[in-house]
Amino acid sequence: MQSNQVSREPYPPGDFAIWIVIYVELVTFGLLFVGYAFSRKADILTFNNSQLALNKTSGFIDTLILITSSYFIVKAVHAIKSSNLSLQEANHIASKWLLAAIAFGGMFLVNKFLEFSAIFGQGITLSTNKFFMFYLLLTMFHFMHVTLGTVILFNIFKKTKKDGYSKEDHRGLETGAVYWHLVDLLWIVLFPLVYIIR
Amino acid sequence: MIIKKVEIVWIILIFFTIFAYLLGKLELINTLLVGVLLFTTFIKGQLVIDYFMGLKNVSYKYRLIPTLWLVLVLSLVAVAYY
Repeated sequence: MQSNQVSREPYPPGDFAIWIVIYVELVTFGLLFVGYAFSRKADILTFNNSQLALNKTSGFIDTLILITSSYFIVKAVHAIKSSNLSLQEANHIASKWLLAAIAFGGMFLVNKFLEFSAIFGQGITLSTNKFFMFYLLLTMFHFMHVTLGTVILFNIFKKTKKDGYSKEDHRGLETGAVYWHLVDLLWIVLFPLVYIIR
Repeated sequence: MIIKKVEIVWIILIFFTIFAYLLGKLELINTLLVGVLLFTTFIKGQLVIDYFMGLKNVSYKYRLIPTLWLVLVLSLVAVAYY
């Protein structure tokens, strides 16, 4: 009898330890997201007025950058996993995608730095009010994750330059990739929550 | 030209991001559209979970954890908003 069921992989891609990290990060950011939403409910006027100081275009560009860099990472993993190319060719293609993702990670960091400079230039700090406390906590915490993610991607990139990944052995690449996608996933929730919803 | 699945996912993510941005930039956001925005955010998140993180064809117990997180967080944001 023919089965229509999709055969499922028993474990997620990458090192299992990274998934523990991912679940912890999801809980941490989730609590901050929900904390933001209920704090807003308690003081809608302050949150709506303070939100006007944010640069929505900057947040929008950040989102485009992260989504696109995540796409580049998928292409890098795909080059190593699925191609019928030689080891050298597969690593060469992957390294190009990774370099593009690292460049986009750098662009995100520069854009965020400019955004923070503008905010601090207005005399806004963590203690200005609850909106800015959450905004700075969430975005700076996320900024740290992008910084770490970019460093991880750079190390993976260096390994591809030594033809270090193969179709059979690419767990390190997948581990870094899922961490980067986590950073993307978190921003996908953060952007509408903090910059758009009012 | 064959457009691959991951390219389609990227286009959908970009489209919903532009939608969210326009809602905010043109100050079109209202109670109904917040619901739509949260729903599109769920779709974006689920696409990242399935096709970028690669959990689409992984054992349900691993796929469901981030999906449940997404549903729970966005539902609580909706509860706080409405």
